[in-house]
Amino acid sequence: MRIFKVFTTLLITLSLSSFALAGDWSKIRVGTEGAYEPWNYTNAAGELVGAELDLARDLCARMKAECEFVQQDWDGIIPALVQGKYDVIMAGMSVTEERKKTISFSSAYMTEPAKMSTLKGSPLATLSTAKNLNLDDDSAASKGTIGTLNAALKGLRLGVTAATIHEDFANAYLDVDLKIYPTQDEMNLDLSAGRIDAALSDSGTIEAYMGTPSGANVTFFGPNIFGGLLGEGVGAGIRQGDADLKAMFDKAIAEAAADGTIGRISTQYFGKDLAP
Amino acid sequence: MMELITFGDTGWGDELLLSMVMTILVSTSSLAFGLLIGTIFASFKLSNSYVLKTIAEFYTTIVRGVPELLVIYLLFFGGSGAVMYVAKIFGHMGYIELSPFTIGTIAVGAISGAYSTEVIRGAILAVPKGQFEAARTLGMKKYAMSFNVIFPQVARLALPGIGNVWQVTLKDTALISVTGLVEIMRQSKIAAGSTHEPFLFYSIAIILYLFITSISYQFFNRAENKFSKGFVREGN
Repeated sequence: MRIFKVFTTLLITLSLSSFALAGDWSKIRVGTEGAYEPWNYTNAAGELVGAELDLARDLCARMKAECEFVQQDWDGIIPALVQGKYDVIMAGMSVTEERKKTISFSSAYMTEPAKMSTLKGSPLATLSTAKNLNLDDDSAASKGTIGTLNAALKGLRLGVTAATIHEDFANAYLDVDLKIYPTQDEMNLDLSAGRIDAALSDSGTIEAYMGTPSGANVTFFGPNIFGGLLGEGVGAGIRQGDADLKAMFDKAIAEAAADGTIGRISTQYFGKDLAP
Repeated sequence: MMELITFGDTGWGDELLLSMVMTILVSTSSLAFGLLIGTIFASFKLSNSYVLKTIAEFYTTIVRGVPELLVIYLLFFGGSGAVMYVAKIFGHMGYIELSPFTIGTIAVGAISGAYSTEVIRGAILAVPKGQFEAARTLGMKKYAMSFNVIFPQVARLALPGIGNVWQVTLKDTALISVTGLVEIMRQSKIAAGSTHEPFLFYSIAIILYLFITSISYQFFNRAENKFSKGFVREGN
């Protein structure tokens, strides 16, 4: 019954609970998804890599803390933080008012405008609008840009990823046939297949998709959208009680932004400077 | 594209294979746990006690009536919370996590157990009354009667149903991916998100699941044959 022995040993090892003590921040556990290239993903050797992993290591060195990475599925990434499975979320998570009700955030470490994309050859691809749309700006010009977008998208199907700032934006500003996807990849596939007319997402993730064979036919249109309910950018999620940890992250992020570290890391992974 | 599924540090083959082992481990232990619960609650349901009957009825109605994912969320996030609350009373501050494996096994096992209860209850009822009476007439004690006369017959009658429960249990383990346990579903999600090749990796996941089900089909077939010695099997 050797197989039985191996099986029981495995079971016993697997069911042991892991155990950690809260306290000083010489050791910080960073929760991430590990499936969101190029922000945070897993290479074929099973190691966590990505812009946020590099940044987290840099920030931890500045805070003189030892960092340990914990992988968690996106569904449940906030409850697990609140529960204490890790101390910080760095997972391409945008700072939003909605999320601030549950957790607090460091200042943003990277900002990236939202952008719409469509297939080359679609009438949308040649739509001309203002270059930027700042949602904090209430001017007639901004309203005009939103009007142009709504007129062009009238009756068309727009895809967004569920529970994102993009979904919030589409609900608040657009009058379209909204299709909501669980993940970016599913939305990308449907965009290529023509099942939606346009998609709204972070510009970086869709840019990565454009680099793949199935995404070669995808192109951007419309303005860079930012500000307002799209939030301040991507920040580190921290439990509301841990104000001291938030202060440490704010300071380290400000230093990393000032000395060009964030610019260097984002250029390496995104091909452009996303420093706040 | 094929280099993506090679073994070693450049391909996802080894990660996927490990995740399959995890799926097999978690689903077999869930099924075993479920069968244990199922046997207990089936005997509750068939007992003469009103209280035991009500408890068993309550359990099968609730667990079979709510979505599996909800049971997993409740046990994973609620379970750790409850353990920490108790630990706090005893003066232990800080974070305690029950491993996703344990929680997953308990959650999926509880679901699988609810279905097993009905399968086992049905099988016990299908054993002819005369078998119980004959065993008693021979002067067998309750224990000897259960193990030597009733159990082999229940096993024969329950196996096709348990085979069904097994398939459902196997697929339910995909839901544990939300707790971060790296089984087939979670691993293919990671690989798909990291390489932007969802089609390839989800197709591999399908093949892995089908591989497990076809192997287990053989296993259940053999077990059915073993317990059906002396019977003509109808169908296949």
